Amino acid sequence: MEALLQGMSVALSPGTVAAIAAGVVAGLVFSAIPGLTFSVALALVMPFTFGMEPIPAMALLLGVYSGGMTGGAVSAILLGIPGTPSAAATVLDGHPMARKGDASFALGASVIASAFGGLFSLVVMMLLLEQVAEVALRFGPAEIFALVLFGLSTICGLADRSLIRGLIAGVLGLMVMVIGLDELDGVGRLTFGSVQLQQGVNMLVALIALFAVPQVISTFVDHGRVERPVIAERVRAVFPWRRVFGHWWLLLRSSVIGTVIGAIPGTGGPIASFLAYDHARRFSRRPADFGTGTLEGVVAPEAANNAVMGGALIPVLSLGIPGDPATAIILGGLLVHGLQPGPLLFQTRLDVIYALYMVIAVSWVIILFIQLAGIRVFVRVLRVPPHVLGVCILVLCGIGSYVIRNSIFDVYLMAVVGVLGYALQRMRIPLAPVVLGLVLGPTLEQQYRTALILSEGSHQIFFESGVAMAFFALTLLTIGWQVWSSLRASVTSKPGVA
Amino acid sequence: MAMLTDLNRAGWRRCTTVIAAVLVTIASSGSAFAQQFPRQAVEMTVLFGGSSATIAQVLADAMSTELGVPVAAVSRTGAGGAVGYAYVKSRRPTGYDIVWNSNSISTVFHSGNIDFDYRTFEPVARVGMEVPALAVRADSSWRTLDEFAAAARTKRMRVGISGRGSFIHLVSAALFDKLGIDVIYVPYGQGTAPTELLGGRVDAALQWPSQFKAQVDARQLRVIAVTGRDRVPVLPDVPTAIEQGYDVDMVMWRGLAAPMGTPSDVIARLETAVRRVVASPRFREVSATLGFEPAFLPASEFGRVIATDDAAIGRLMAQLGLKR
Repeated sequence: MEALLQGMSVALSPGTVAAIAAGVVAGLVFSAIPGLTFSVALALVMPFTFGMEPIPAMALLLGVYSGGMTGGAVSAILLGIPGTPSAAATVLDGHPMARKGDASFALGASVIASAFGGLFSLVVMMLLLEQVAEVALRFGPAEIFALVLFGLSTICGLADRSLIRGLIAGVLGLMVMVIGLDELDGVGRLTFGSVQLQQGVNMLVALIALFAVPQVISTFVDHGRVERPVIAERVRAVFPWRRVFGHWWLLLRSSVIGTVIGAIPGTGGPIASFLAYDHARRFSRRPADFGTGTLEGVVAPEAANNAVMGGALIPVLSLGIPGDPATAIILGGLLVHGLQPGPLLFQTRLDVIYALYMVIAVSWVIILFIQLAGIRVFVRVLRVPPHVLGVCILVLCGIGSYVIRNSIFDVYLMAVVGVLGYALQRMRIPLAPVVLGLVLGPTLEQQYRTALILSEGSHQIFFESGVAMAFFALTLLTIGWQVWSSLRASVTSKPGVA
Repeated sequence: MAMLTDLNRAGWRRCTTVIAAVLVTIASSGSAFAQQFPRQAVEMTVLFGGSSATIAQVLADAMSTELGVPVAAVSRTGAGGAVGYAYVKSRRPTGYDIVWNSNSISTVFHSGNIDFDYRTFEPVARVGMEVPALAVRADSSWRTLDEFAAAARTKRMRVGISGRGSFIHLVSAALFDKLGIDVIYVPYGQGTAPTELLGGRVDAALQWPSQFKAQVDARQLRVIAVTGRDRVPVLPDVPTAIEQGYDVDMVMWRGLAAPMGTPSDVIARLETAVRRVVASPRFREVSATLGFEPAFLPASEFGRVIATDDAAIGRLMAQLGLKR
């Protein structure tokens, strides 16, 4: 009890709250700009924490983390470019919503869903820390492979009209991620002797390229030829509480997906948000509406990718082991201040744990306030003429691509991948499956190979795991159902054609 | 002469000072440069993420105070360090571009991923070391390397390491070679090997002590050996491999290097800054919590360490069939 009061008093002191607010703003701004992610923001903010007291330092870092988790949706919805990889799934329905004039509605919904997901995972972290960590530990390479394979089976759902084109797109995405030194054996693949290609294609650079460049090229190709419909932005309720909580059951399920996947090391936000998106579509009463701007298509991925935050902090707190680069930076920030997360911290510094919970809760309140004020400003972006906006987007994407790895090579890479993306679009090959391939490919390959190394080359390892088998069954069901329904569709449509 | 002195003593004196200053400047343009170094921000390229990147940021932050100009730790990760090394190599040797280097310069060269080696860089100073540690689960019966080796002869052990060809892999290969056992190396990216050990999918893991620390304190994991000459401060109870009768002394050093051709007085200025930072109590304190061992070495000695290590790593990688 004393620890609780002590932790709360530190976490609610003006200095700490100011640190959270500063962190949240930095995180929001960085993640809203494509290419500048919260990882970059965390690394930049880190030196400032050196001179601070432990709790405010932690508050600053966690503020950047939660702010950075939500900001990605802003550019995803308004510009159709994910600010962070986790927001890639939000583009699919968020951007069409903005095009229909519902930008502020979509932004409001995404913020509410984000805060819900974030707070949900916080509650899970507080109540079920040990249990979730236990579940996460059971996910080894074989299980993660099966999970990711299941995620990949959702390509079928993203493939618009033609399953074949969808598969082509998915394989292209997988192949792009093969380039570079592979992480397990350190062997260069498709590098053509170039040191730059050894680092491979960065996922975020490819995402920016695929989402932004084709769109900008189209804008200029169409300029003066196609009359662009003026988007009449309806600034309705900026905070559509009722509409969003009408989907409370979906919010809850998506948050569970996000929390669990966040807790499994080696996975993360992008995978969680795509799985949540697909599961929302599959259980929707109107799956055909997905991709045209449905509310469910925005709230599901946003609840999931923000729930990832609490999930990812679970192994850090319970095991003292970070599961992804962002939490690794946060762990480093805690260690600098002499706080070693792990089971012992709960016995020795319970006040720190409570302060940490409090800080995360406060950060979500601040995010809600800032976004509430911000949405009316953000949507003005849509009033900028498309050709002017196009130039601004290209400049931002150039900067963003450079900053990710401080490499000018990545700027060229963005240009090349972007032009390829435009070509694909002209060939009517959908880009969403390419993105899915990009997001899932590296994990899929790495976990498969690690599993086989563990089993000395025997596929038995996959069959011995109940979890893996369950996901394989789900994968088969998904594919079977999709093939069956597309066959049925072609049978029923044939008489009409003839 | 007398007339001159009569003319204006003070003026003449001023004149000599100026001439002297000009002469000194001309005579040693190099050191004049050093007096002016640093005039702008220094960029420290960091090759990896994780705790070593945090240490680099702490170092850069403290060096900023020492040098009076910002020292920025800029991350250029990827390809086992090849990308960052190639970048710093391509910069002008002025001292404004330095690299947070490590044994990775040798592993990345001998694996054939870059066509230049450690001789492309001027050593500035060694900052410290990280010592690999071998951990098993606390519920296992192995407490020493001998017990582990005996068990490994009846059952082939799975050992979690970082990627193949990484320094961690080399150290484990050297250690198990000395133990006379054959194991299955399971490479994990992103430092997930300790989790896999906890999850029971591997029997042991060789990683950095800081990755095991929390679980060792909670008595979930047990570290049975470290591979340095001396014990490590974060795990003072863990004996070295040498203490247990196996002659393995492999540690990862970390330090700073600059492109070849950087003026020696610039190097000296940077070296002094590093020396002061490493000696500061604040740096030692932070290092301890991050599982990093401060161990300053001046440029010349650091250069010898790099060269000896490079030869050893090259031999080992050839033995393991990893040299290309």
